[in-house]
Amino acid sequence: MAEFRAEVFQNEYLSDGATDVHGVVSVSVSGAGVAGQSPGTEAAEIIIVDTSGSMDMPPAKIAAARRAAKVAIGEIVDGTWFAVVSGHTVAQMVFPTHPGLAKMSDVTRRDASEAVGRLRSGGATAIGAWIAAATELFEQAPAGQRHAILLTDGKIEGEPAGALDAALANARGKFQCDCRGIGSDWVVEELRTIATELLGTVDIVAEPADLEADFEEMMRNAMSRGVADVRLRLWAPQGSEVMFVRQVAPQVDDLTPRAVRISPLVVEYPTGAWSDESRDYHVAVRVPTAPVGNERLAARVEVVVDDQVVAKGLVKAIWSGDTNLTTRIDPAVAHYTGQAQLADVIQRGLAAKASGDERTATVLLGEAAKLAHDTGNEDTTRLLNKVVDVVDVEAGTVRLKQQVAKSDEMALDTRSTKTTRIRREP
Amino acid sequence: MTCPHCGEGIVAGDAFCEACGGELVPDAAARSDAASGDSAAVSSAGATPGVELPRTHLLRAESQMGVDTSLPCAACGAEVADDGFCSVCGHRARTRREHWTESHGPDAGSATGPAIGAVCDKGIAHAGNEDAMATALTAAGLAVVVVCDGVTTAPDSDKASLAASVATCELLAATPSIGGGFAARLTGWESALVAACRVANAEAVAIARSLGDPSEPPSCTWVASVVDGDLIATAWCGDSRGYWLPDGPPGEQLTLDHSLGTEMIRSGITREQAEADPTCHTITRWLGADSVDASPEYRAMRVEAPGWLLVCSDGMWNYASTPGELSGLVNQAVADGAATPTEIAESLAAFANAQGGHDNITVALVRCRPAASSASPTQA
Repeated sequence: MAEFRAEVFQNEYLSDGATDVHGVVSVSVSGAGVAGQSPGTEAAEIIIVDTSGSMDMPPAKIAAARRAAKVAIGEIVDGTWFAVVSGHTVAQMVFPTHPGLAKMSDVTRRDASEAVGRLRSGGATAIGAWIAAATELFEQAPAGQRHAILLTDGKIEGEPAGALDAALANARGKFQCDCRGIGSDWVVEELRTIATELLGTVDIVAEPADLEADFEEMMRNAMSRGVADVRLRLWAPQGSEVMFVRQVAPQVDDLTPRAVRISPLVVEYPTGAWSDESRDYHVAVRVPTAPVGNERLAARVEVVVDDQVVAKGLVKAIWSGDTNLTTRIDPAVAHYTGQAQLADVIQRGLAAKASGDERTATVLLGEAAKLAHDTGNEDTTRLLNKVVDVVDVEAGTVRLKQQVAKSDEMALDTRSTKTTRIRREP
Repeated sequence: MTCPHCGEGIVAGDAFCEACGGELVPDAAARSDAASGDSAAVSSAGATPGVELPRTHLLRAESQMGVDTSLPCAACGAEVADDGFCSVCGHRARTRREHWTESHGPDAGSATGPAIGAVCDKGIAHAGNEDAMATALTAAGLAVVVVCDGVTTAPDSDKASLAASVATCELLAATPSIGGGFAARLTGWESALVAACRVANAEAVAIARSLGDPSEPPSCTWVASVVDGDLIATAWCGDSRGYWLPDGPPGEQLTLDHSLGTEMIRSGITREQAEADPTCHTITRWLGADSVDASPEYRAMRVEAPGWLLVCSDGMWNYASTPGELSGLVNQAVADGAATPTEIAESLAAFANAQGGHDNITVALVRCRPAASSASPTQA
């Protein structure tokens, strides 16, 4: 049985007249089990492989895609409903050959592996059509968790503008989708939009040789998500305003726009399926102030599975006249505020650079270098160093490198949201 | 044999433990009769030395000290959620430990029998409520009120005060009827109150022990009054007070603080000067592991006219220290429509809070009527 725990990190003391309450709610699960293996739940997996013409340039890409799809199929546990779709101008069934899902077994695993070995490239990139096809296929699966892997190497050009948005509007809440871009001719913003809407991850695989290991890990993670549908339920008092709710670890993901109102004071945020893992959420609520000495609940954060509350964290506000108490900033809140800023300045800095505004890009990426350094985010520091030369990290002064590999910029962009966890006092 | 309070060895037949001063059987047995079954552990003989007995008085009392979620939110009137916060405005509901009342007997307007109303309130300035109280009205018509004020500078004194007051009250309420005339009852209750103070002290000491003997052990003041017909028997240790407030004539303070303030007045300075001195409240006697003197003083008086026994902590008398001021507050409360002793006590606590509520506030009132005196005929 999965066990959930929620822990709150905050400074609950507010000065007289203050209204803004911040807290980090850390949620962890153990005993999540395996996808689709608990009674009454089934799992479905779809692998979508880009087979547009560009996948042959160089041919190493389509070859890597065949091998990666085969490895991913090998990771899908018996009994899981699955399909492999080839994406070009249209979405085409690879396995099974009819538009539907097959049940994983030794036989179907072998047949599906043989089928992906025959993948050939040709045609355009029409990701909206692929998402729409996956949505239709998932609708045939029994209730349970549904997950897809989407691989592409190019930007959308084989379908009308708006096709992707329409497909995503229909797909939202029906399945989760992890997105991978191979090479450096795809558009980070397109895949980030899909991953954000469909509660998945996005990453670059610059070298075709690395694709196999990436698919293996991705599918293994998906299979380890034994808790199908976890929602974060947030109660905030009357007269308050939820400023934001964002996941801050393992990566930044703003949940605020995904709020589903349940009752006047309660909203829910879908968080998808969970494995044995831990995710941190930064909750910020603006509450009506109260006289010194008063205590008020600013947010009740509940973890909900199958409409049952499985863990709960309370974010509180206590108004105090003691400045020793009220001026302290909780280390977790400070750390994750910095990490979220870091993701933001990197994305805006790279956008400025792409539009030719080098001055703004230099300022923002300088800020990023300082933030990454200050918050101990070594991975991001390493990625930044491929794009900028740091002059003075304390001051946040950098120079844009003259020669930058496009894939390095894309890696910085896609991975800008990855955060480091704060070291907790023992 | 070992002492049921502290686990030290005792001599058979001793009335009190040499080590902690705790009362030994058969009185402990009487206490367990009075309490519900779970305090049997207190009187169980043959406990292993060095192993802490459960502080059953404390635990039982604390279990009743959470939030009463059946009461509406004090701030907005909406329902209070299970976690103690209002379901609409989020206001934290007061726990019973922060504010509770106890009521026994008929209301103040009734002509017969004593009536008790008491309130224990956190006040405003303090973060927690270290005051505690316990009250009882027995089937025989005996009224018992106990107030203990935990020493704020010693952590966990809220536990000491609660355990000491509950233990005292249960012991006194279970005391077998003291027969005879006024004089016999006067001395009988003196013994019972002195014994009860020892038990209360043992509770406070045992709590320090169960917490690993902290350098600042939990400690508290102690005052207990018994109204037995026309007799009011009061004993105290520290600066919590008892007052007699008759309906007509001027009242009197029954207790004399064990404090530096009292010693200052004894040495010749005025009450006003003493009360203005910051060390006035420094107590010279208290209950607890570090107490230098945990012995009570005793005072008994005869009730000759209807009136109020008022027992309180310094959080109350800081704002009304003379019997005249306190009588005035009681009369004002009645004039304002307070119908029960508890409503009057609430009104006095509200007054103290309106003055700033700088300390925890406990007010226990017993309505006394000499006409309704119990069993024994009055003899001088």
